Amino acid sequence: MSDLTNIIRKEVKELLSPGSVISVVVMVILFACIGNLISDEVEKSIEMPVVCVANWEGQEITTEYGSWNAYDALIDIYVDSDMTLDEAKKYVISIEGSADDEDTLLKEMEKADASFALVLSDEFASDIAGEKRATIYQYHIYMPSGMISGTVSSSVSSFMIDKLNDSLSTVLLGPDKAEAKFLTTPIEKGNTRTFINGDAYGDVTPADISNALSNQTMLIPIIIMIIIMMVGSIVISSMGSEKENKTLETLLTLPIKRTTIVTGKIIAAAVIGLLFGLAYMVGMRLYIGSLTSMADTSNINLEDYGLQLTLADYGLITLSMFLAIACALGICMILGAFAKNYRSAQTMTMPLSILAMIPMFITMFSGWYGSNLLIKVLLFVIPFSHPMMAMEALLNDDITLVLSGIAYMALFAVASIFITVRLYKSDLLVTGLSQNKYMSKLKLGKRRQEE
Amino acid sequence: MVDALVLKDVRKSYGQREAVHGVSLTVREGEVFGLIGHNGAGKTTMLRMISTILTITSGTIEVYGKDVAKEPDEVRQLISYLPEDAGAYKDMTGRRYLTFIANFFRSGKERDAMVQKGIDIADLGDRIDSRIDTYSKGMMRRLLIARAIMTSPKLAILDEVTSGLDVINAYEIREIIRQIADSGVTIIMSSHNMFEVDMVCDRVGMVDQGNLIDVGTPDELKRKYGKSTLEEVFVTAVKGA
Repeated sequence: MSDLTNIIRKEVKELLSPGSVISVVVMVILFACIGNLISDEVEKSIEMPVVCVANWEGQEITTEYGSWNAYDALIDIYVDSDMTLDEAKKYVISIEGSADDEDTLLKEMEKADASFALVLSDEFASDIAGEKRATIYQYHIYMPSGMISGTVSSSVSSFMIDKLNDSLSTVLLGPDKAEAKFLTTPIEKGNTRTFINGDAYGDVTPADISNALSNQTMLIPIIIMIIIMMVGSIVISSMGSEKENKTLETLLTLPIKRTTIVTGKIIAAAVIGLLFGLAYMVGMRLYIGSLTSMADTSNINLEDYGLQLTLADYGLITLSMFLAIACALGICMILGAFAKNYRSAQTMTMPLSILAMIPMFITMFSGWYGSNLLIKVLLFVIPFSHPMMAMEALLNDDITLVLSGIAYMALFAVASIFITVRLYKSDLLVTGLSQNKYMSKLKLGKRRQEE
Repeated sequence: MVDALVLKDVRKSYGQREAVHGVSLTVREGEVFGLIGHNGAGKTTMLRMISTILTITSGTIEVYGKDVAKEPDEVRQLISYLPEDAGAYKDMTGRRYLTFIANFFRSGKERDAMVQKGIDIADLGDRIDSRIDTYSKGMMRRLLIARAIMTSPKLAILDEVTSGLDVINAYEIREIIRQIADSGVTIIMSSHNMFEVDMVCDRVGMVDQGNLIDVGTPDELKRKYGKSTLEEVFVTAVKGA
């Protein structure tokens, strides 16, 4: 067995402890459960709400084209949304009360277990008969609720009033809906055409493309951040633990090259980090899948618009991810060299977490293409940004950004491993910062200033 | 007789502070050499420099003719270092730990023979297959000594090897050291325990504030300072009483 294999085996066994495996499995299950919960809530939230309608009786509008009342019109809206008449009657509830009698309204709404009511004004029918615009009041009951489910939104009530307008217009203007539509909206929107990478595509807007793209790419920054934080924590903790148990001193006096120790630790942490990251990816996919299903209403297939990744593109993304992990491990090995023990090692993951979070948020919110020069420089300098940006860049045929990012990360990884090996050859690993000559000079300088 | 270890005007500085001041010393092959001194005297720093894990500020250290600063990889083939309060990988069993170390030195049957030698030195019985985090301090020390010796180093460097052990465990560890020395391994060890050094070491070096103040056999030193115990010799040498 080679020295490198021996080190890797030891590190892998150490890192793959029952405790760490259980915590990852629990996390995945937790993500999956939360995902299911959100998914259920999303389904509930897109159901038509229960609506109460008040003060409609006796306010029927009758013309030569037919008759109209608010209750029946609402029932029609629900029937149009794939409900039977009986089901619709459970969702549209006629209640007592009026705009002048809000106490009764509230009691009736609570009795009907509804949070939303439409109340016709007393003059509704007479106003329409007199060719004046009539009023429907909207009443909501505020109920504390989560982000997704809860009370009926104002957009739902507006939607219902629009539908009521349509149906009443038909009764007032005639059954020929085209005529009614012409009077209310005489301008028709023509075909929408969008140029994507120089080619024109119909029936799609840049916003549709952006939404579909972000649905596909939003998972990558989160997963990369998780992997980086995980491998970082693993490597730094391993270093802290070696120092605490003084096993590092023994390791350094064995006939093994420093580069072998550093490489062995990095490879083992990368393998375990990727393994755990993959597990998190499954959990996150279940969790985020439910969020994106809520947001994705466009049903855009990006391949139809020439936005697809080739096998070579996936190869570049994988290479970019691998180099980002190598850079993270390089940084961690440097930080780990300064850790006194396991506990102090834990606090040292903070700079890495911040470095991983900055590009994640930037790529999720503005992205490389929507950022100004200063943020672009920041994104480029932080090595973990590159795999987060790679997918979007490749979909936009921006190969230069991806390749320059890969070159930069390769240089960064080599430099950080070189620094780590230098640290392993120095006293710092054994004595810590307190005995370092530069720290001693710093302390001496401070003491002199105090004197 | 071959010189196993030669220190020539060795100095070690941490920033502005010099921890070891120009120490020169020779340890002959097969000798058990003891470094005695109080806490912070510079014993561990000297042992760490010999073990290649601390850089030497000035001077030279040679282990069997190999320069520690210039040929550290070659020196690591010859030495075995046991740090004070050292631990082992707690999630491994004793046998697995010895195998892990042996893998760096030998492979196949030779590796298995090395592990068996370690198991014999540790003498932990069935507990060799228990997890290390279940070991007592004495058991841990036996395992670590076995680890240090099973590789047949030419020079064993032992830092405070019996510190914190009870009487029985300390006695047994001293017995092991004596047996190792009889097998021809050169040993340099540090200790606070003058009785232990008197019993185990062929020659002793007294260290105070980074200086090697005197060297000799325990009997030579006792005669020189006119004292009956090494403890009295050390106090007299340091305080001049």
